[in-house]
This record gives sequence, C-alpha cells and structure tokens, in this order.
Amino acid sequence: MASDRIFGLVMAIVALAYIASATQIQASFLSDPVGPKTFPIIIGAVCALSALFMVFKPDPEPDWPVLRTFGALTVAVIVLVGYAYALKPLGFLLPTAIAAGVLSYQISPKALNAVLAGLGLSIGLFVLFKYILDLGLVPFPKGMMG
Amino acid sequence: MKTRFMKALVTSVVLGLGATSAASAAECIAPANPGGGWDFTCRQIGKIMFDIGAVDQPIQVTNMAGGGGGLAFTHVVSERDDDADLIVAASSATSTRLAQNAYAGMTADQVRFVGAIGIDPGVIVVAADSPHQTLADLLNAVVADPSAYTFAGGSAVGGFDHMKPLMLLQRAGLTDITKVKYIGLDGGGDAITQTIGGFTQAMTGDMSEIVGFLASGDVRALAVLTSERVPGFESIPTAVEQGFDVVAGNWRGLYIPRGVSDETFQMWAGRLQQVADSAEWKEAMTANGLAPFTLVGNDFQGYIDNLIVEIRQMSKDIGVIQ
Amino acid sequence: MEIMQNLAMGFSIALSPYTLMLAVAGCFIGTIIGALPGLGPSNGVAILIPITFTLGLDATSALVLMTAVYYGAMYGGRISSILLNIPGDEPALMTTLDGYPMAKAGRAGDALVLSGVASFVGAFLATVGLIFLAPMLANVAFMFGPAEYFALYLLAFCTLGGMASNNQAKSAMAACIGLGIAMIGVDNSTGMPRLTGGSLHLYDGVDFLVAIVGLFAIAEVFFFIESHGKSSSIGVKLDKVRIPWRDIYETRWTMLRASLVGFIAGILPGAGASLGSFMAYMTEKSIAGKDGGFGTGVAKGIAAPEAGNNAAAGGALVPMLTLGVPGSGTTAVLLALLMTLNITPGPTLFTDRPEVVWGLIASLMIANFVLLLMNVPMVKVFVKILMVPPWVLLPGVTMISFVGIYSLSGSYFDLLLMIGFGALGYVLRKLDIPTVPVILGILLGGHMEDALRRAMVIADGDFIYLFSSPIAIGLWIAAIVGFVAPMFLRNVLKKPQRITD
Repeated sequence: MASDRIFGLVMAIVALAYIASATQIQASFLSDPVGPKTFPIIIGAVCALSALFMVFKPDPEPDWPVLRTFGALTVAVIVLVGYAYALKPLGFLLPTAIAAGVLSYQISPKALNAVLAGLGLSIGLFVLFKYILDLGLVPFPKGMMG
Repeated sequence: MKTRFMKALVTSVVLGLGATSAASAAECIAPANPGGGWDFTCRQIGKIMFDIGAVDQPIQVTNMAGGGGGLAFTHVVSERDDDADLIVAASSATSTRLAQNAYAGMTADQVRFVGAIGIDPGVIVVAADSPHQTLADLLNAVVADPSAYTFAGGSAVGGFDHMKPLMLLQRAGLTDITKVKYIGLDGGGDAITQTIGGFTQAMTGDMSEIVGFLASGDVRALAVLTSERVPGFESIPTAVEQGFDVVAGNWRGLYIPRGVSDETFQMWAGRLQQVADSAEWKEAMTANGLAPFTLVGNDFQGYIDNLIVEIRQMSKDIGVIQ
Repeated sequence: MEIMQNLAMGFSIALSPYTLMLAVAGCFIGTIIGALPGLGPSNGVAILIPITFTLGLDATSALVLMTAVYYGAMYGGRISSILLNIPGDEPALMTTLDGYPMAKAGRAGDALVLSGVASFVGAFLATVGLIFLAPMLANVAFMFGPAEYFALYLLAFCTLGGMASNNQAKSAMAACIGLGIAMIGVDNSTGMPRLTGGSLHLYDGVDFLVAIVGLFAIAEVFFFIESHGKSSSIGVKLDKVRIPWRDIYETRWTMLRASLVGFIAGILPGAGASLGSFMAYMTEKSIAGKDGGFGTGVAKGIAAPEAGNNAAAGGALVPMLTLGVPGSGTTAVLLALLMTLNITPGPTLFTDRPEVVWGLIASLMIANFVLLLMNVPMVKVFVKILMVPPWVLLPGVTMISFVGIYSLSGSYFDLLLMIGFGALGYVLRKLDIPTVPVILGILLGGHMEDALRRAMVIADGDFIYLFSSPIAIGLWIAAIVGFVAPMFLRNVLKKPQRITD
C-alpha cells in the first residue's frame, strides 16, 4: 500500500519536473507543426496521471526484504559504482577480483568461496575477454606494467 | 564447477576471429559505432594503406561514438592536438555539423582536413508513377505550391539530405525556403519507400541508397548532383546540365589534429593519394556505390572552407542555427 | 516457388561452415542460459549483444548467433523446470507442473527427452509457419506511411503493456518512463539536443543496450542478493537417458495442437512465449478432462507447454521481423540487436535485406535440428552445468555485463547508467511494475514521435490525417481493444506471476 503510494508520488513529481524541463526545449523557427516539446509534455502528463492512479488505488504491499538485506543491496550498488570508476585507471584484474568477491559474499556469505570466486572470475574472464574475444582490456594500472 | 562453466563459455564463444590488432604506430578514430560510413572509411583506408605499403604497421581502428562525431572531435582537439600518428574519419556530416555549430562550440579550423577520396553523389528521385519527368518540372511545381510537396530524406532536419533540395529550390527561384516541407527518416531506404508509397512526393538522398530501387524500376532519378554524369549511371542527367548549379555529395575522407607539422600533413595527404590511386580502393568504391572524387592536401582544406560557409548561410536561412 | 528460391538462398548463407559454427555455439550457450535459474532468453540475449558486437560479426552472423541463443534458451528452460522444480525462465513455468512430478517418479530422463522432442516439434512447425506467413506480411511495406506507423507503435504499447501487468496504470507508467528516456538526445526533427542537461554523454541519447542489460541482468543480481541465492538446490537425480518412444507417439496430436496454439499466441504482439505455453497447457488439460491426470506427471502435460512455448518463440518473430513490433520481451531485445546493426525491421526488411531474413529463417531450421541432437543425447552435460552455484554465476554475469557495456563506448558514464537501470529494475519489479514496456518505450519512443511529427508535416498539422487510411483505423481499433481487453480477460486467463519473456 504505502510503497505504491510513495512511488506514485515520487513519479508524479518527476513527471512534473520532466514537463517543466520540456517547456524549456528550444525550437528553431523552422519547426514542424508538432514541435519538439509536444510529445515530451504528453508523456509527462500520462506518466503523472498513471502515478496519481497508483497513489489513490495502490496494489497490496510487496514483500520487502529486511533492513539488513537493504544494507547488502546498498553495499552492492556502492561496489558496482566504484567498479565502474576503477575499471579504467586500475585495470581489469584488481577491481574485478574485489567487486566479484564482494558480490559473491553478498549472495552467499562464505568468505573462502567469495575469495575464490573473485580471483577465479577476474582471471578467468580476463583470459576469456583478452585472448579469446580480443577485447582491448588493460590488466594492471599503466604505471605497473610500463 | 566454475571451470566447467567457463570452459563451456570459452569453447563455444571462440569463433574464428579477425586478425589480432597489435599495438601499432598509427591510429584511425571512427567517430561512430562499427558498421557505419565512418567505420568503413577507417577500416578500408587503414587496410589499404598497410596493404600497399604506405605505412609499415597495420593502422588500429578505434570506435569513439558520441555526439554525432562531436565526442571524437573534442577528444582530438583537447587531448591529441599534436599527435602525428592520428587520423580521423570524416564525411559531409562532419562539415555540416561544424557549420551548424553542433560540436559544442568547436570550429573547423581546430583540425586539418587532409583529403577526400570518394563521394556518394547526391540524387533527387521520384516514384516511377510521378507526373514529374524532369528536375525543372518538379522544382517549378514546388515553387508554385510548396505546401503540396513533401521531400523525404535519410538525414535529420537541417542535415545534408535536407540541404540538397533547398539549394536546388533557391536556384529555381523560391525565396522563402522555410516553406519547403521535409521529413527526415532513418536512412535512404525508408525515404524511398515513403516516396514509392505516395506519402511523400520526392526523395533526396545518396546514389548508393537508390541503386537497388533504380534497378527494380520503382523510382525515377531526376538528377544527380555531380559536375559530370556518374560512370555506370550515364542515363541520369546532372542538375548542372539542367540549369541548376548545385554539386553536392557525401564525401568520404579524413582529418588530423591541428598541431602537427606541415610535413606530417603532407605525409598523410600523400598516403591518402596513394590509397586513392590503388586498385583495391577502386574495387571498394564500386562495391559500395561511391563515385571517384579525389581532393587532398590544401585543395581539400579550401573546398571544406567554402562548403562550411555555404551550409552555414543555408542553415541560418532555414533557422536551424541563429 | 519464390519461397523455395528464397529458402535455398537462405540455406546457402546459413550452411557456410562459419555460420553453422555460430549456430551450434549459439544453441549451446542458449541452452545453458535457459537452464540456469535467473537467466532467461531475454537477459541472456541482452548480455550477449555487446559481446557479439565487439566480435565484429556482420549482420547475418550476429542474427544467426542470437536467434540460436534465443531458441536454445527456450529449449534449456525446461531442464531446471523438470529437475529442480524451478523454471529456468518464465515460459518454462508450466513445464514444472507435470515435469517435476514425472522426474520425482524416477522418470527424469524420459521427461527431459520427451520435452526436448516436443520443443523440437513446436519450434519446427513455428519456423514453417514463419516461412509462409512472413512474406505475405512483407508486401504491405508500401502501404505504411507516417500515420500508419504511428498507429502501429501505439498498438505495440497497448498490447504489450496491457498483457505484461495486472495493473494498466503501472504498465502505462512503465511505458512513459521508457518514452521519456527516449526523448533525451538530439531531436531528429530539428537536429537540436533535448533534455540532455548539457551533457555531451547524453547527446546521442541513452543507449538501449545499457538500459536492457541494467534492467534485466543487474536487477537480477540484486534479486539474488535479496534471496541469498537460496533458490538453487539440487532436486532430482538423473540416471539413465533412454528415448521414450511410446510417450512420444502418444503425445503426437498434443504436440501438433499445442504448436498451433503457441504459434498464434506468439504472433499476437504482447502475448509472448509465457502465454503460449500457458494456453497450450490449458487447452490440452481441458481436452483430456479430469481423467487426463494433468499435474501428476503425465506425458501430455510435458509435451503441451514445451511445444507451445517453442512455437510461440517462433511466432513472436513474425511481427518483429515484418512490422518491427516485438511480440515479447526477448524479441524486443532482438529488435534492439537489429537496430544496433543498422537494420530496421519492418515492412521493408524483406525487400531491403532478403539475405538477412532468409539466412535467419534457414538458420532457425538448422538451429532447431542442432538443438534436438544436443538436447537429447547430451542432456546430461547440461544437467551438470546447473550445479554452478549462484555465488559464482551472478558475479560472473555482472562482470560480463560490465565489460560488454564498457567495450561499447569505453565510458564509465554508461556503466553508471547501467547500475542506475539495475536499481530501477529492482524497484519496479518489487512494485509489480513491468519492465518490458520501459524497454519498448526506449526502443520505439523516438520512432513513434518521429512518425507523428512526419505525419503532421505532411498534413500541415491536420490531425484527421492520422485516421486517413483503413490500415490506420484498423490499427487504432486493435490498439484500443488490445489495451482494454486484458482488463476483462485477466480473470479468465490468470497469468503467471511475472513475465520476463
């Protein structure tokens, strides 16, 4: 109940903000009859309507996980974001081993398995991508390998 | 278990791959994803340069898609300005976007245009059952009643395909070219289909896009926008000989960073000339519907400068840019 | 006879050793993907697209590989249904009903072989149907102008959105999210950027591959973290594999009927393979009556849903190839693949790129035979792969997704976007908001707007033009019916929990 209402409300606000920014789109004076603003505004309006519908007629509450699981999910997101940033400067192997290890631990909390999964995946995937699929991956930071 | 899974993946994904590209002296940036015209330019030119011995190591192709070529342009100007081993694929889309200031304030004089070695000639076609027999027929009818005619093309509004009929109609005496109706579709094939279906009255595009439809007899080409008739398509008259002085084609070529020495510029111009003269390139052109158009070095830079001035004026006239 | 000629051309393309190898590899990977819980045809294909791309495959080869994966995944889904009582993917859900009881009764091998044969019959008949039906639809190319296309896209949203959720408001909102994202980037009709916030990264818009991989693959990882990977447990042991001729013979009519039902369900945009297997199972159940013993592990209860879902997979290719309207989540992903390869599916595909279409159809045929051979004698191999624990599998899937997307553009920005889509996908699915309309919105949003604006340019802003042809009017009516009908049909066809295919 509450989840649908909250999400609906958030989406309604997002939709209104979307409409607001759509009105700011520049149109050249050679514009077609419809113009670049109309369609985004219609989308925003339909979205706002559906969102309000969710607010007033919500479905039953979904089965949300416990707080600790949310912690695990947050950790996973942070790790993934860090991984995205680290991939270029730090090379493939190290970030992949860490990220895969942490994710593995989040799914099944056994430290040894996580370490094995991290190491195995980073080396295995590196071999797969670099030597078999011929993608241009950098194994280590540039400074280390020259 | 894991190794088994990996082995499974590995063994099954190993599928005869192209030659491994080793680290090489020169790099060609294709400012788009693989598969498009720029990618073709890089791969063909790079391959031929190596095959004919113009360079001693294979040229590595990097795809850098983004901003309609803007990302690559920015990258070259801001990070690789003195890299003598860098070439970048370009076409009339590059010059059009530069003229329209679509590269976030970057200008054409921030790089050096080395040359073009082929062109996809512009064409104007109508459906086979269209009442218009000549280019003059069509243009005069549009001038008389612009709202009854819609042109279809494969580029966006303000793009190169849009410019072609506008240039022609200006020559035909239409003063307010903002009255001309144009719809931009996803490629020339779609534009032709719409024209054959009768939804639009004429199609503006490139020669390579219409070859198949000419053969099947679905369309009639009213004019080709080259100075001479195109070899292999001698029956199609040029716009020039029909009294409309417009030459427009989608050239394929290269630019290099601004900061390199004149010797480097001439070196690349020379290599490009070698490619243009090679039999391999002639084969590649025929296979891809390109017409010969070789212009390298300073001549090409001058051509680009003029082109940009004209497109910029035209874009201002129709209001694509302020 | 034109069909025979075209087919011959197709086979000449598909039978080249290289293409054949791709088909075999695709079948193998696909079967694994289908069998592994959490990976289904749609996210499996989504993960593999960027990799196909970096392999530098040409259009036909890429398509052959991906459709082989697609068909393979449809086959593979049954393995974990039968052995673990967990559908490897959504369309295989119905197979658990009789497959697992049969396996528990010590006939796991029989169930696997029988379902493999049923899959073959379904897919084979559907491919034949595709051969005959598709060219007829291909001739309509010249009848589709901007007005008709606009109505067609509307139809796609109405039916797929309508079928994918119990709540029309949620479907509509999901579609709007996708459409809204599609608006970002250069506006095709003015050549000027919109809603990019000045970022050059967004100038070209949001790449739909980023969205697809995020919504399907990354979101799946979050779900596994939530469940701690508990859903994977060893079920039934498999000993000997023999061919149960008697069962196959007895279920021959069931297979034929189920194939027909599934194929029709697949053609309807928005229904997809899940509905195909569901309808096939229910039809056979009602034909057999109470004495049929459905649900206790009977042969017909395995043959029907498997023939049905594989036939639906083939059927779903018909609207995707001929109209550019995907009939299911997976075909939406395949549509994305085609667009990445600069092929616009739609009425013009058959005339513009016959080699692509017929090469594809021929390789479907070949893939189907390969799969039959692979899935009957070699079924034990796949059973072993099922034992990969999720704590290795899911991190692996994540890393493959990252490298795949990273290799597309080389920018961390796309990776961040992908993670964002993953989180969005998790929340949406938690709230029972379907993610398929989001994908559809991103894929088709730009086209839909372009069609509307082109129509208005031609008609000088006269909205009547949108309803100016019989085709357009027919599509509008179908769209409205397609959106409204599920509201009433819902109680009749109680659909499976969530449709990922």
